[in-house]
Amino acid sequence: MKRLLPLIVGALSGLVVLAAMFFVPQGSAILSAVLNWVIAVASVALLVAIASLVLTHLRFIAKGKKGFLLSIVLVVSFITTLALGILLGVDNPIFLRLVGAIIRPIETALLGLVALVMMSAAMKIFRERGWSALTVSFGISAIVFLILGLGFLQNLKIPVLNEAIRFVEGLPMIGARGLLIGIGIGLLMMAFRVLFGMEGSGND
Amino acid sequence: MNLPELITLIISVALTLMVFSYILGDRLFFGIATHILIGVSAGFLALVAIQKVILPYLILPLADPDGSGFWLALVPLVLSILLVLTLFRRGIQAGAIPLAFLGGVMAALAIVGVTRGTLAPQILSMLGRFEPAQLMREAQPQWSAILEALMILLGVISVLFVFHHRGQSKAGELVRPVFLEGVGSIGQIFIGITFGALFVGLFSSALIALISSLSEIIRFISLWF
Repeated sequence: MKRLLPLIVGALSGLVVLAAMFFVPQGSAILSAVLNWVIAVASVALLVAIASLVLTHLRFIAKGKKGFLLSIVLVVSFITTLALGILLGVDNPIFLRLVGAIIRPIETALLGLVALVMMSAAMKIFRERGWSALTVSFGISAIVFLILGLGFLQNLKIPVLNEAIRFVEGLPMIGARGLLIGIGIGLLMMAFRVLFGMEGSGND
Repeated sequence: MNLPELITLIISVALTLMVFSYILGDRLFFGIATHILIGVSAGFLALVAIQKVILPYLILPLADPDGSGFWLALVPLVLSILLVLTLFRRGIQAGAIPLAFLGGVMAALAIVGVTRGTLAPQILSMLGRFEPAQLMREAQPQWSAILEALMILLGVISVLFVFHHRGQSKAGELVRPVFLEGVGSIGQIFIGITFGALFVGLFSSALIALISSLSEIIRFISLWF
């Protein structure tokens, strides 16, 4: 029963949403109500996840675990943000500026760091995976698109070259299309497995 | 430069330097910066979720027992209470029901979204290349268009074969038929080209971010000299 009830709830809610989507406009009211429930429950799930994160770090601090100083930093920054937000309001320009002043530079610097990590990862791929159809085409493609990205060749304004560039620029779309269709089919199979109770949706 | 701008710049440069200390092998300052990011983001997300979603969608309808939304709001309230119970050791099982509800609805949305938004447009766009109007002009075959259409079809099919893992298992290793291996290799070339182009796009964005961070530091230094 413990496992059966979540399966029934999952399958039933999914089938109701599917039916509401196919029978428009009769099912529109049901669909709108269910989607509102999903928005509310998903937000509560987010809050529960955040609460779980903070509780875990509070436990680390209480036990004096290795790296608990970083846990203090996390908890203090969380409580300060929450307190300031409640005091000033989420839409307050000063509050938004403060949050932006902290989040933006860290995110930008982390993204900058990604450039350096990507450089070493690109070199590593040849050492780890050797020379294969995938690695060679990846390397050539990266070099070609790096050169095309400079815009130098496009500025030469040679019709034949421009035609060749147009053809080359369309090549990544072929792989992307194949990947998208593959992911789509996989996702579809997974969704049907969840709906028909073949996949555990939160019951484990 | 006024005082708030100066304070913002000092915070920004300090945090940027803390992140870049990772390059020198430092873990403490990098850890402090990332934990500040997690703490502030979590606090901000919690505030937005409470004020923008939970209050208007969950709490406010319950404030009016005579309103039409009162009974409808009871369902997410019960599901939310079950979710909150997962924070306690004894209530972990209770969270399975709201999570199953979310999983079921998401699966249904994924079925409609993937078929209408991804599979149908991608397949139709691929097949659209074979329309006679595209391949013939003034009763003459357009060989470049025919070649391009065939290449796209071959590319997409071969990419799909890369993920085809059905074959005989010999000594723990998967042995695929030669035909599948060959088509899969062509698919690998197309995937490599796509990943190469994606890599360059991502790398360019990351490089711009790196330049932006460094210019912020230079701007700060130039204030004093």
